[in-house]
Amino acid sequence: MKEKWSHLMKKDGVKTVAASVISILIGLLVGCIIVIITGLTSGNMDGGSVWDGVRLVLGGILSTGRDASGGLTFGFNPTNVGNMLFRATPLILTGLSVAVAFKTGLFNIGAPGQYLMGTAATLITALSIPTSAVPSPIVWLLAFLAGVLAGALWGAIPGLVKALLNINEVLACIMTNWIAANLVTWIFENSVWCNLEEYGKTNYIYKTTHNGVETARAGLDALFPGSQVNWGIGVAVIIAVLVYVLMTKTTLGYELVACGANRHAAHYAGINDKRNIVLSMAIAGALSGAGAALYWLAGNTEFYWQTYQSLPATGFNGIPVALLAASNPIGVIFTGCFMSMLNIVGQQLTSLTAFNEYITDVIIATIVYLSAFSLVIKLWLSGRKKHKVQPPAVPAASAADGKAEKGGEDA
Amino acid sequence: MTFLIQQTLIYAVPLMIVALAGVFAERSGIINLALEGIMIFGAFIGVLFVQIMQQSGAFDGAKSDGNWLALQGLMLLTMLVTAAAGALFSLLLSFASVNLRADQTIGGTALNLLAPALVLFLIRIIANQNTLYIDGDAASWFMLRKSDLGFSRNTDLGFLGETFLHRVYPATYVCILLFVVLSIILYKTKFGLRLRSCGENPQAADSLGINVYKMRYAGTSISGALAGIGGFVYALTTANCSSNGDVAGFGFLALAVMIFGNWKPLNIAGAALLFGLFKCVAASYTSIDLNGDGVYLLANIPISPHFYRMLPYLITLIVLAFTSKKSRAPKAEGIPYDKGQR
Amino acid sequence: MDSENVIEMLHITKEFPGIIANDDITLQLRRGEIHALLGENGAGKSTLMSVLFGLYQPEKGVIKKNGQVVQISDPNDATALGIGMVHQHFKLIEVFTVLDNIILGAETTKAGFLQKKEARAKVEALSERYGLKVDLDAKVEDITVGMQQRVEILKMLYRDNEILIFDEPTAVLTPQEIDELMATMKEFAKEGKSILFISHKLNEIMAVSDRVTVLRKGKYIGTVDTKDTDKQSLSDMMVGRSVQLEVHKEPAQPGEAVLSLRDFCVPSRAHKRNAVDHVSFDVRAGEILCIAGIDGNGQTELVYGLTGLEKSSGGTVTLCGEDISHASIRHRGKNMSHIPEDRHKHGLVLDFTLEQNLVLQRYQEKRFQTKGFINRGAVREYANQLIAQYDVRSGQGPVTAARSMSGGNQQKAIIARELDREKPLIVAVQPTRGLDVGAIEYIHSQLVAERDRGRAVLLVSLELDEVMNLSDRILVMYEGEIVGEFDPKQTDVQELGLYMAGAKRAQEKGGRPA
Repeated sequence: MKEKWSHLMKKDGVKTVAASVISILIGLLVGCIIVIITGLTSGNMDGGSVWDGVRLVLGGILSTGRDASGGLTFGFNPTNVGNMLFRATPLILTGLSVAVAFKTGLFNIGAPGQYLMGTAATLITALSIPTSAVPSPIVWLLAFLAGVLAGALWGAIPGLVKALLNINEVLACIMTNWIAANLVTWIFENSVWCNLEEYGKTNYIYKTTHNGVETARAGLDALFPGSQVNWGIGVAVIIAVLVYVLMTKTTLGYELVACGANRHAAHYAGINDKRNIVLSMAIAGALSGAGAALYWLAGNTEFYWQTYQSLPATGFNGIPVALLAASNPIGVIFTGCFMSMLNIVGQQLTSLTAFNEYITDVIIATIVYLSAFSLVIKLWLSGRKKHKVQPPAVPAASAADGKAEKGGEDA
Repeated sequence: MTFLIQQTLIYAVPLMIVALAGVFAERSGIINLALEGIMIFGAFIGVLFVQIMQQSGAFDGAKSDGNWLALQGLMLLTMLVTAAAGALFSLLLSFASVNLRADQTIGGTALNLLAPALVLFLIRIIANQNTLYIDGDAASWFMLRKSDLGFSRNTDLGFLGETFLHRVYPATYVCILLFVVLSIILYKTKFGLRLRSCGENPQAADSLGINVYKMRYAGTSISGALAGIGGFVYALTTANCSSNGDVAGFGFLALAVMIFGNWKPLNIAGAALLFGLFKCVAASYTSIDLNGDGVYLLANIPISPHFYRMLPYLITLIVLAFTSKKSRAPKAEGIPYDKGQR
Repeated sequence: MDSENVIEMLHITKEFPGIIANDDITLQLRRGEIHALLGENGAGKSTLMSVLFGLYQPEKGVIKKNGQVVQISDPNDATALGIGMVHQHFKLIEVFTVLDNIILGAETTKAGFLQKKEARAKVEALSERYGLKVDLDAKVEDITVGMQQRVEILKMLYRDNEILIFDEPTAVLTPQEIDELMATMKEFAKEGKSILFISHKLNEIMAVSDRVTVLRKGKYIGTVDTKDTDKQSLSDMMVGRSVQLEVHKEPAQPGEAVLSLRDFCVPSRAHKRNAVDHVSFDVRAGEILCIAGIDGNGQTELVYGLTGLEKSSGGTVTLCGEDISHASIRHRGKNMSHIPEDRHKHGLVLDFTLEQNLVLQRYQEKRFQTKGFINRGAVREYANQLIAQYDVRSGQGPVTAARSMSGGNQQKAIIARELDREKPLIVAVQPTRGLDVGAIEYIHSQLVAERDRGRAVLLVSLELDEVMNLSDRILVMYEGEIVGEFDPKQTDVQELGLYMAGAKRAQEKGGRPA
């Protein structure tokens, strides 16, 4: 067993997956600990509600509410699973967005802005072309493409300033995020797209169904009754596969990855590194825009346009999705689903206990934190004491100790 | 004009102090992208601490007697607490960057995600809503008025007096003093010299017997303390001393100010004033009355308020575009130092 | 007997993952002597000195000072024992002034505040006494390499060190600066300071040292008195076999000019002047033309401008009859291979596999791709062919991560990739830097073979031995200009040195186009 284990751990892919699993487990553990501490210190919660909180953090996706006696019940909940797939759709795409940029050596923290620009372009297109004149699937497609294009253009801006002026893309992305947030609010303020028909909804844009445009749900609504799921998830999976092919099988992917791994060597080999930085950021932006398009074209989502004070979490959550997947496009499909599962968990926590959904953000942040030194975790996994390995690494390592075997089996 | 200067200072001072926070981290070799998160955390702890003090009743007497010195004492105490909180929070970053040789950009991003999540989670449980307020308004607790100094309401203190002594937060001046003292430390002391050497060439520093790890911990902790204070002062002066898990990208603006100021305190002070002015225009363009004739010039121009809100970010981008070619970051920033590989 | 040894390192063993850098090494340094430490690259000299300086802790062995066992766990301990070191790569803070660099780590303070006045007086006195001229208020990035070394020496003197370690101090100096350094070292020894001098240059060791300790592949070979030995026997001790230092080659049969540079200029990143200033020369088919010079005299920029890595600011480049002065890197690559100076920066993508690296210059060729999709079978086949042909050794063949390969095999992979492109011009920059003797011989013979196939070879080298052995023609570069042209058979190292140091130059500015 021990030998088999160490042999398994020699494979880099296995190590990557194991490191991600460990990060997830530690993240969940931190979440549980915070629930326990706050629950026990707040005074108005008893051990039972703390236990409820812990159970929901770990298995909220399987929650089916409370029974007559007030106890939590668990089982397969098709609505939850359907909603998980629905929310995974944009997360997979923003995750791909961050992953593509990572592969090219860029940190795309601009996904929220690209997502917002995609949102605006998609909604305006979907609501402006009358379906009485143009068939609604065509409008759907045009709106989707508009979202992709707007995202691509917005993503290209930090790419351009990075390539031409060597401005740190992280700062440029953050500035473009806030510019987008104000711009989108500005565009929609007092516009014809604001929902004036329903009382108290003027801060929202019409659903795309207002113009008869929505993503097909054929079959999925029967499979996951009561959920928002539609075939957008299928589109997201197809895009992930396409991105995988692009990055690993084509000369363009070879160039992008070469630029990311060693910009100087790429330049030496005659690869136009500046063009590739812009291209990579544009592709990243397009993916974020596609995520926005698929989310808002669902027909059952309403966009709150007064967004100038906040940025969409879907954009930021692309970062943990990509990090957990080690920027592997296929891996992003699974980590995207995991993140949306946490989202459902948060929802269950808010509706069923005194805790709230922000605990899942704490879990996500913990996972990102651990990803920052996933290399150390991988090193530890291969049991190689390269240098006198950091004694302070022990807390993280020992917390993972018990789970490592399990992680290996999962992998 | 008085209003404009006071408002500009209100934005410029936290920017300045947080940009200096960035300098201390980066000069020691650690990129502190987490300034935003630390500010959020500092603001929360500060507001929470003031609220706890209020509820304990310890300062009720001072408040009703108008004993402004005691109230400023509370403010100083709160600043100390937020400094400690910020430093503590930043240990997460220094531990990951120094001991685990983590990617500092991702580590900082993690803290930026963690701070609002944790803060909102706790605020919800404490206050059962999304914002934590202190009792009463911040101005009545912490603002200095000329009446506090023994002048009557009708005394005209002249332009300087009215601008700098009336309706101001002394916290602002504490920050400026802190800024000056720390800048001197950075350039004139043994500690400052050694800290800067670690951000430029840690191998060289190490070969001269300087403990690079300790220096980087020190730099990041000072950075965390300053960002914590900056977060609280920001919340105090612009958000009526409330905390809602957001400082609207202020920490990132401070990073931009730091780059624009070329990692040098004097330039940073100038850059912060400039950015403070833009922020001030963005926030209160409707009430700016430059020459005191009751005409609100900017409010009369038919431009969407969102344009003004966008301005600081847009200008940051443009300014970075013009200065990035000349800017010179500490050479070793962002590179984990590994004793084994020297 | 023991008392005259000021420092003794006894049975030192230091291991790194995968290699034993020092295996049971003993070194005894007497008071007032200059003791040379001789060995090839990778013999363990620097590691041993790092142990003495407290940068590494040995697994086994003890260090004694004046007969007492001492524990040196960091550079502070070393300084306290009076041990100072001039590192091979200077340990200076570029943006600090010279004075700040000297006092850093040994500051005089009052209440935490720096007291620079006393420090300045002390440094000025030292500088005067030993003739070590420096500008205390200049920033290190603005001063010459020679002055930077003097700063390093002053750092040791400022700390009152009695045991001075010089790690490869001559690599960056002109022959004349080397003479000055030797004189200074002798001066120190006369005063009773003890000096450890690390080098692999036999001439210098013979000239300056009292005794020599030789290391080979991490092992102790022996210690000899300099006066009782000669260069040949030291060389034998160093490499363990008799080496052919000479490269065997037939006289060149030069043909037409393949590459012509006329008034070629490349701007400098460091200063406002041109790094390459109106340079003109030709490289002909079937010859090896060598650019000699001290590091930092424009050679790097010349190659960058020639290969397109940087934009030139004037003049023309003609390659195979075509003006490529403003062509893209890829366009230039049609007739040019380039073995770059820095194999980790430019030569390889370390995170790629060996096979991915081997097609770095030709993945876009028809043979390796169809409609934008990489033809993996063809890549694998080609990689296997190159690996066999050039004897590139690696753990897992074509799928080995480039990062995990040894330096010699990384360089072989680059050589294989570049030479197999079969271009009329080969630009090779320091192709043997940091490699062992076997790999050096191999690369030299490959370059000669390419020459004999009628290719034009432009070699840039800092090693005068390599320049003398390999080239058919030598151009010396000084401060961005060509200051002389030589036939290796009719010149010697001393003459080249004078030109390299700018002490002499040919009459015509820029050298005449040859």
